[in-house]
Amino acid sequence: MILPDHEIIEECRDVCRATVGVYVLTSCYGCQLVMATVQKIMEVANLVDFKCFYMVSSKSSLHEPVDIAFVEGSVSTEKDLEELKEVRKNAKVLVAIGACAVNGGVQSWSEGDLDYDKLYASVYGNSKIKYKGLQAAPIDSYVKVDYYLPGCPPEEDEIMYFLSTFLFGSYPEEIDYPVCAECRLAGNPCILIERDAPCLGPITVAGCKARCPSFGVPCIGCRGPVPHDNSWFDSLALAFRNKGYSKDYIRERMKIFCSHDKNLEERLDKAFGRKK
Amino acid sequence: MRYVKLPKEKVYEFLEQLKSMGTLYGPKKISEKFYDFREIGDVKEVEFEYNRTITPPRKFFFPERETVFTFDTVNVEIHETLPTGDPIIIFGVHACDIVGLRIMDSRFIDDQPDPYYQTRRENGIIIGLSCLPDEYCFCSVRRTDFVDAGFDLFLHLLPDGYLVRVGTVTGHKLIENSPEYFEEISSEDKDNFAKFEAKRRSMFTVQGNWDDMRYRLELHLDHPMYMRESDKCLGCGNCTLTCPTCRCYEVKDLPTLDGAGGERVRFWDSCQFRSHGLVAGGHNFRPTKKDRFLNRYQCKNAYCETTTTAYCVGCGRCTYFCPADIQFKENLLEVYGFGGGA
Amino acid sequence: MSKPDPMKTYATHKCRLLRVYGLTEHEKLFLFRFDDSEIAQSWRFMPGQFVELSLLGHGEVPISICSSARRMGFFELCIRKAGRVTSEIHKLKPGDLVRIRGPYGNGFPMDRFYDRDLLLVAAGLGMAPLRSVFLYALDNRWLFGNITIINSSKLGKELLFAKELKAMRDIATAENIEIIQTATRDPDWGGLTGRAPMHLDKVNVDPTKCTAALCGPPRMYKSMFEQMIALGYDPRYIFVNLERRMKCGVGKCGHCNIGTATSWKYVCKDGPVFDYYDIISIPGLI
Repeated sequence: MILPDHEIIEECRDVCRATVGVYVLTSCYGCQLVMATVQKIMEVANLVDFKCFYMVSSKSSLHEPVDIAFVEGSVSTEKDLEELKEVRKNAKVLVAIGACAVNGGVQSWSEGDLDYDKLYASVYGNSKIKYKGLQAAPIDSYVKVDYYLPGCPPEEDEIMYFLSTFLFGSYPEEIDYPVCAECRLAGNPCILIERDAPCLGPITVAGCKARCPSFGVPCIGCRGPVPHDNSWFDSLALAFRNKGYSKDYIRERMKIFCSHDKNLEERLDKAFGRKK
Repeated sequence: MRYVKLPKEKVYEFLEQLKSMGTLYGPKKISEKFYDFREIGDVKEVEFEYNRTITPPRKFFFPERETVFTFDTVNVEIHETLPTGDPIIIFGVHACDIVGLRIMDSRFIDDQPDPYYQTRRENGIIIGLSCLPDEYCFCSVRRTDFVDAGFDLFLHLLPDGYLVRVGTVTGHKLIENSPEYFEEISSEDKDNFAKFEAKRRSMFTVQGNWDDMRYRLELHLDHPMYMRESDKCLGCGNCTLTCPTCRCYEVKDLPTLDGAGGERVRFWDSCQFRSHGLVAGGHNFRPTKKDRFLNRYQCKNAYCETTTTAYCVGCGRCTYFCPADIQFKENLLEVYGFGGGA
Repeated sequence: MSKPDPMKTYATHKCRLLRVYGLTEHEKLFLFRFDDSEIAQSWRFMPGQFVELSLLGHGEVPISICSSARRMGFFELCIRKAGRVTSEIHKLKPGDLVRIRGPYGNGFPMDRFYDRDLLLVAAGLGMAPLRSVFLYALDNRWLFGNITIINSSKLGKELLFAKELKAMRDIATAENIEIIQTATRDPDWGGLTGRAPMHLDKVNVDPTKCTAALCGPPRMYKSMFEQMIALGYDPRYIFVNLERRMKCGVGKCGHCNIGTATSWKYVCKDGPVFDYYDIISIPGLI
């Protein structure tokens, strides 16, 4: 509810067309694929000018100014970083889209544990690659991000909600509650209680309508931690510990998509005590 | 009150009869441990001996998400999307949940009626079902274990069927329309009803009366229980979303892509979420997890004048469905003075 | 007893923006008129009540009415640019349409103000609802004794309705009205300084036969109460107007819930006006 400190796009119905860019750093292009295949893609295409959208047009350019920039992927090379800075410079509103851009993605799993040079050596040995790599990081480690649209991949209804609010001259409302709540609203049986499943629903930000737990699959946390320090790793770790999971197991599982969360280690220590 | 008997062999036929009158919902087993109210296709799926459902019956009258109106931004006009008023029958509602619905009524009908809720409620038939408590139940201390009103029919288990209490004219009509399923009660049935009730009452793990709980709680707002237990809390809101009397909702406008229209939706909110107490400008009236935790304990123990009970009906859902295993009943007892504390 | 019409609970009315006045850097005053002439004729409110203003597509916000209850068909809202909806409202131009629900809330019990002196104490945005009380008193001047307004804010340029109050000085003198405007933390301000409670010695009201209406941040209430009671003000006649997150306005959505187990209140419905004894019996109210 706090006022955004960026420019809000003026609604320009029938007068002008909003310009949109969809950019990719290091990622699987899955977010682009979802964006390109939303049911209303034709309607969207009629309302906006895509200045950059690699999956849709070969005329994509990084260098044109846009009203809204959607950035997919983590910053994992120096080239990524250069491109990201260019995008930020050209965009009025920058949206981090997908697990990689928002939280660093699975490529950040080892964050804080393994050194970049060691990782490089174990993969490439002595051979050289074209770009200098960086430890994978979410894009807000380097530039200001206005909005976050998490998910691996993001949900279609959320993409549409973001687009409609931006085009309306407004902005999307942030979700600050976990998947766990959506799961209960869906009337699912709780697999954490019933099967002692290591479900990360209670710490993962909602928006997917509990996609995985609805099929009995424990949440892996792809949407990342609940924002504003409301991701209670300690409380969940305590619940897991009571079900017999070890600290290492819990830490590894929570790190898949939350490795850049500043509260993770501290809260795990709180639940288990600092000594291993 | 009128009493009739529904013999065991007629139960499914009666359910079929109900199904023909509208959409029938009833308790179903949906996994190893859990039950939920679901639409009944095959009446054999109805679970008569269930402990508690995941979603509370309020969802039939106050759905978790609904469009309140669609709008036209060009002419600044709105079009309310009121429910159609199709009849729904909810079978197998426990006494505590019936009180829960009456508590909902007190906020959504008695006082500045909510048209969406009221329309659905007026087209709903409630058929109660007796139950035996498990260790999570504490409806007896909440005085919600037996109801006098709020149902059309209430079925009490007998060894060979059900003793049926008729609560409303709609209930009488249900009996009149299908007299072949019912018979008059015998003195044996009356004895069996009394025996069942005695057995039910003896099974509660807490006895007595909690009418003074709210005073005890208020006198110990600084009790260490709140800090200790809220530390375990995941802030997931399961306790409130499964609660039969929680009714907080959030509202959001969804404009269409072209901006010419859209809809306003309302959906269940929870006081356990950070944004619940947040106002424009960034001030939060309940900034910490402990503030939010305490808020629920106070709200649930507040007094509802209509039912003369607490807002908590003692169904045990908030504990049963808590992933962090926080024990509401035990925590209340601790503050009350039976379990140590300050 | 006839049943209340459920369609009236959330009924909204189309309103046209007539004029916008800039008040301070962040606050503007908006004058609205009901589009429907029947509604314009029948719509009434009491000082202290609020409306829910909808900008379709953006959302809805609760705003205190700050105009005179006497002006029929028109009403004024003083709106601070603070969030999603209010920042859009600030972009509105005369002729634009909005939708209004209400009025909601209890409002000030004006009959308990009659034949008594009146003290209004505002801090920051608090002057908005109190302006409605003040204009009510002016419109019904014979029902009130002496009147004092203490209007305070952090900076001089943030004082709400400062120009309006200043312009009234001559009338005020003739009508036994004392206007005190103070800036609490403004080195460039030429007028009175210090917080509102520091100016209780300058009032023209008799504490023993005065009704007080307060609106400001919670910490102001605490110090005001202490001093007022020490000065002999009757606590039964001290009222405050509170702010909470009020989404529905009719005691349903639960966001403005406050209190403890024996005193569970909805600020939007049981308030937003509370008296001194409510405040001391309901923990968390201020």
